[in-house]
Amino acid sequence: MNTQDRHLIQTEGLTKIYEDNGVQVPALRGIDLDIRAGEFTAIVGPSGSGKTTLLNIISGLDKPTEGKVWLDGKLVSAMSGAELSDFRRDHIGFIFQAYNLIPVLKVEENIEYIMLLQKVAKGERHARVEEILREVDMEGFSHRFPSRLSGGQQQRVAIARAMVSRPLMILADEPTANLDSKTGADLLDMMRKLNEERGMTFVFSTHDRMIVEKARRIVIVRDGLVDSDTTRN
Amino acid sequence: MSLYTKLAWRNIFRNKRRTYITGTAIAIGLAALIFLDALYIGMANNMIASATASFTGEGQIHGRGFLQTQDANKTVADLDGVAAGLKAEPLIKDFTVRTLSQGMVTSTANVNPVLLVGIEPETEKNLSQVDDVLVQGSYFAGDDPQNIVIGSRLAELLEVGLGDRVVLTVSQAGSGSLSQDLFRVSGIYHFNIQDLDGGLAFVRLKKAQAMLGLGNRVNEIALSFKDPRISRDENNPFWAKSSTGDNEAQGWTKLFPALKSIYDLTQVGTLIVGIILFAVVALGIINTLFMSIYERMFEFGVMRAVGTRPWGVRKLVVLEAGALALLSIVLGVGLGLAVTALVSRTGINYKGVEFAGVTIRSLIYPVLQVRQFILYPACVLLFTLLVGLYPAAYAARMSVTGAMKRTL
Repeated sequence: MNTQDRHLIQTEGLTKIYEDNGVQVPALRGIDLDIRAGEFTAIVGPSGSGKTTLLNIISGLDKPTEGKVWLDGKLVSAMSGAELSDFRRDHIGFIFQAYNLIPVLKVEENIEYIMLLQKVAKGERHARVEEILREVDMEGFSHRFPSRLSGGQQQRVAIARAMVSRPLMILADEPTANLDSKTGADLLDMMRKLNEERGMTFVFSTHDRMIVEKARRIVIVRDGLVDSDTTRN
Repeated sequence: MSLYTKLAWRNIFRNKRRTYITGTAIAIGLAALIFLDALYIGMANNMIASATASFTGEGQIHGRGFLQTQDANKTVADLDGVAAGLKAEPLIKDFTVRTLSQGMVTSTANVNPVLLVGIEPETEKNLSQVDDVLVQGSYFAGDDPQNIVIGSRLAELLEVGLGDRVVLTVSQAGSGSLSQDLFRVSGIYHFNIQDLDGGLAFVRLKKAQAMLGLGNRVNEIALSFKDPRISRDENNPFWAKSSTGDNEAQGWTKLFPALKSIYDLTQVGTLIVGIILFAVVALGIINTLFMSIYERMFEFGVMRAVGTRPWGVRKLVVLEAGALALLSIVLGVGLGLAVTALVSRTGINYKGVEFAGVTIRSLIYPVLQVRQFILYPACVLLFTLLVGLYPAAYAARMSVTGAMKRTL
C-alpha cells in the first residue's frame, strides 16, 4: 500500500458534550475526518470551536461522548489505558504551545525520555539524540537545562522530543503561539522540511495564519462541526 | 541511576526550602524517637537497678507459699543442695541467704513494726546496698551478735541513735511463741526509700535463726545474674530448674509486677510516641507531596500524554517520597546520635523521684543501641513510602486533559 493511502486518523460522528454546572455544552457535534500518512494538516478555528477537544480525542487523551476514532486502523475505544499510553508513546509525537519540557531534565535527557520509556538501547538513544539535535539545529545545547534556553530553543527541543521516537504522526497544539513570528516561521519551515523529507504526518490545531498558509490541508472547525476541508496542491 | 530515580532526586530539590523544612520535621521526629527509646531503656535500667540492687536482688528463691503467707516457718527446702546448685550455676553472679520475719522493735520512746532480716553480712554486701548507704556507725563490724542495723526513718520514729538499745520481739516459727532480745544500734542507713528506711531491721543470720527457732533454715535466697537480662526473661530455664520440690524461684518481673508493668509500658510508650510522631510526619509528607504535585500537574499531564503509564507516575511520586525520607534519615540519625550521645554522657537528674514504688537513686543515662539506628530509620523509610502511595495514586489517576487544561 502506498504510504499516502494509509489512513492514520479516522473519526466517525465524533461528539463531545461537557457538563458545566448541570448545563450541557457541546464541544464537538459529529465530526468525520480522515487524515492520511504524510499529510501536513491544520485544524483551524476560533477559540472554543472545538479544535483542541478534537486533538485530545484523536490522541486518546479524552473520550468522546459519541463516535469512534481509529488510529492507524486501530479503534481507540477498544484499547485499555495502558495500551493507549503505549500507543501514544510509540506512535504519536506531541508538541505543545508552552513547550512543556521537563525542567529537571537536560536537553538530551528530555529528548531521551520517550526512548527510555520504550527501552531503546543506550547507544542507539545517544545516536538518535545527536542526529535529531543536528536536525533541529540545537547541537551544543544537549547539556543545558530548559530554563537556560529561549522559547524558540525550547520549542525546537520539544519538536526533537516529539520526533526522536519516530512516531507515525505529530499532533501540535498552537506550537507557534508563544513564539515571535520569525522564530515561529523558522520552526514551521523546519517541520515542513521534516514532513517533506521524512514523510512524517503533522496535524496542527492553530489559528496562526502562518501555519494555515504553509499547510497543505486546512480543516476549518466552527461550533463543533467541520465547516470546510480543503486540500491544496 | 534509573530515569525515575534521577527525576525523583532532582524533583525534591526543585523547591529546596520546602524540602528542607519537611526533611527537618521528619528528621526531628526520627531523632526524638531515637532519643526517647534510649531514654526509656536508661530509665527502665535505672529503675530496675534501683529496685533490685538496693535490697531485693534480681531474683529470689523461697519455700513455696512464703511470699503469700510471710510465714517464717516456710523455709527454703534442701538449702545445702540449692546453695551448691547456685554455686555451680554459670549464670549466677552472687547469692545470699536471709531469714525474714515480721516483728516489733521497741525503744524507750516508741514502738514500731519491722521486717526483721537475718543476714550474712559478707555475702549480703554483694546483693544489697545497705553497707553502701550507711550514714552512721558501721556495717556489722566485729562479731557482736547483738548488733542491729536500722534505717534512718526507723531511727527517727524510735528516737534512737548510734549505740542506743532497742528490743526486738518476734514470734517463733512453728510454735508462735514470742521471742525477745536486746540489741544495740550499730549502724544507721539511708536509702531515701521510705519502705526500706522505715521498715527493715538487719541482724546477723545466726541470731535471727535462733530467735525464730529456725535452726539452720532460711526463708529467702537472693541472687544476681552475670547477665542482668536473664532476670527479666521469665522463660529462662533457670527459673524452672530452681523451682523444683517445695521451692519457687522468681525474677524481679514476678516479684515486682508493678515494675514489670512500668517496664512493659516503656515499650508501649515508645510505640505510642512513635505512632504520634509518625502521624505528624505523615501529614507533613502528604502535604509536601500534594503541594509538589499540584505545582506540577501540567508536567504530569505531559508525561502521561507522551506515553508514561500511570504506574510510572505513581513510581515517580513514591520515589520522591523515598528520596525525601533518605535525606531526612541522614539528618535525623545524625541529630539523634548527637543528642543521645551527649545526654548519655551527662545523664538526666531524676534523683529522689519515686515512680511505681521505686525511688530513682542515680542519674538516668540514655542507652544507645544499634537497633535504634536500623529499626527506626527503616520504619521512617517504609512509612514515608507507604504515605507516599496516597499522593502517588492521586497523581496517577488524574485525567490527562484535566492536568493539561488549555493545551492538548
